[in-house]
Amino acid sequence: MTALVARARPLGRHGIFILLLILAMVGAAAAPEFRTPENVANVLKQSAALGVLAVGQSFVIVGGMIDLLALALGAGVGAINGGLNNRLRVHPLILTFGMLSILQGMIFVYTDRSVGLVSPAFRWIADGNVLGVPFAALLLAVLSLGAAFLLHRTRFGHHLMAIGGSEENARRAGIDAARVKLVAFTLSGLSAGVAGILLAGRLGTGYPNAGAGYELDAIVAVVLGGTALAGGRGTIAGTIAAVLVLGITSNLLNLLEVSAFVQMLIKGLIVILAILVNQPARRPL
Amino acid sequence: MSQRTPALTAGEWLRFLDRFAIWIVLLLLLAVAALLSDAFLRPNYLLNILRQTAPVGIAAIGVTLVMIAGGVDLSVGAVISLTAVVSAVLMEGDAANVPYAVVVTLLVGTAIGLANGVLIAFNRVSPFILTLGMAIVIYGVTQIYSGGTARGVVAPGFREVFNARIGGLVPVLALAFALVAVLGIFVQRATRFGRSLYLIGSNAAAARLAGLPIARVTVAAYAISGFCAALGGMALLARSGVSSTFAGRGLEFDVLAAVVLGGTTFEGGRGGIGGTVAGLLVLVVAFNLVNIVGLDYNAQLIVKGAIIIAASALYARLKVRR
Repeated sequence: MTALVARARPLGRHGIFILLLILAMVGAAAAPEFRTPENVANVLKQSAALGVLAVGQSFVIVGGMIDLLALALGAGVGAINGGLNNRLRVHPLILTFGMLSILQGMIFVYTDRSVGLVSPAFRWIADGNVLGVPFAALLLAVLSLGAAFLLHRTRFGHHLMAIGGSEENARRAGIDAARVKLVAFTLSGLSAGVAGILLAGRLGTGYPNAGAGYELDAIVAVVLGGTALAGGRGTIAGTIAAVLVLGITSNLLNLLEVSAFVQMLIKGLIVILAILVNQPARRPL
Repeated sequence: MSQRTPALTAGEWLRFLDRFAIWIVLLLLLAVAALLSDAFLRPNYLLNILRQTAPVGIAAIGVTLVMIAGGVDLSVGAVISLTAVVSAVLMEGDAANVPYAVVVTLLVGTAIGLANGVLIAFNRVSPFILTLGMAIVIYGVTQIYSGGTARGVVAPGFREVFNARIGGLVPVLALAFALVAVLGIFVQRATRFGRSLYLIGSNAAAARLAGLPIARVTVAAYAISGFCAALGGMALLARSGVSSTFAGRGLEFDVLAAVVLGGTTFEGGRGGIGGTVAGLLVLVVAFNLVNIVGLDYNAQLIVKGAIIIAASALYARLKVRR
């Protein structure tokens, strides 16, 4: 296994795109329904919420932090998080863990069951089409392009990468690390808010526990996409490719009528395999 | 007092604070708890808290060793779930099956830890994602193995032994937790393996140049983590008596919170099991406090989260900034 992985390693940063391509071809060959335009639109709609979430999460992880809060809430929380992280020097993981608990509590105080019917506008955002293309997919595409521009082409993006690479060095170079990290957390919170809208629109109701488990899926997607968990390296395109890999896998297994239990097993194996193939060629120590 | 004893300089005071910050936080929290409710002054109640926390605590000890060496193990929650189911199924409600069930369960946990360790030691992968993927695999296996429902019957006597109180006071589970913690501290402090963990965690390149068997130590650390998680799974089974397939879900975050609160960092090379125990106690005391004050579940979550953040912030303040 290790030898196989070693041979696959030169694939390097393009591994996830190749995996996506292979998966799509296998899917098209294995299940005729997979090729239908309806199903493709379906996969895109289903992946949109996770995609938006993962794009926001990319900023936090590239900066060398982590945000478990994900779906629980909007930009406000992201900003509070970033602020606390800077001011109190609380470890980001502990902080988001604590905030997660607080937010869950607040959500349950607000409502302990599914609330209300989502307005038609919400539903349209998640389920509607523009010229035959799902609006959610368009939204994801636009947000991804914006995020890619922000991360790879602006001063903020470069500063964030620098902080992820070495916060100490970035600070000595005169970068206001606290402010940049605050913005990253805020972006993550903002994208979580959009993802929450997409999810609520798809379910047609506001179910308080709807986002459970999504935060981990988002982190998995970001890292599968080639972003180093230690920060300093990563692309939005890789993140989106990884989201699609996860989405296609679960869609394909559903079409092939694989039981939910076996699906879980396969999903885990794919994560392990992908991380082994897609590991960074690190500079020698 | 520091003026009278010239041996204790300001720098030494800071180092003392640095080392015992989490214990100070724990004492402060206990003092607040005792003010709010006199239950916290009763040894019976305090020992019960220890009993309650044993499954998470035992698993956290293995994870601490892994994190000292700069790794992380997110699969412990899944291993706890799987091993609780496996041991219940193997017991089949017959006391004669217990030794067999215990041995197999521990082997399963250790084997998963070994797999984690080998994959991580011989590949440059992020242990965070790898063990997360392993957790998903294990949940899948657990579901397939159990058919998705609670299966297996706990042997008679198994629960009774572990839930008994020695001398009517000290719970066996609390004692087991203490025992594993002491053993862990011994391994961490007094063995070559333990010192290797710190060296690898603080500077892997230097450790390699010094000729330390990095791969072997890494694999051993993950194997111990899997072993401890299996012990935790059985402790959970003994406490609850039901082998639900998702019994351990989310426990890895309690474990991580305890370890990080206790001063062991994700970067590795620092902290230790003593801190983890204190961090864990901060978490459970916080949880019990909001429980005993009579807040409803929603408010409990809010207050618990706030306490975790506040404790962590206070702790960061007490620590020396290098």
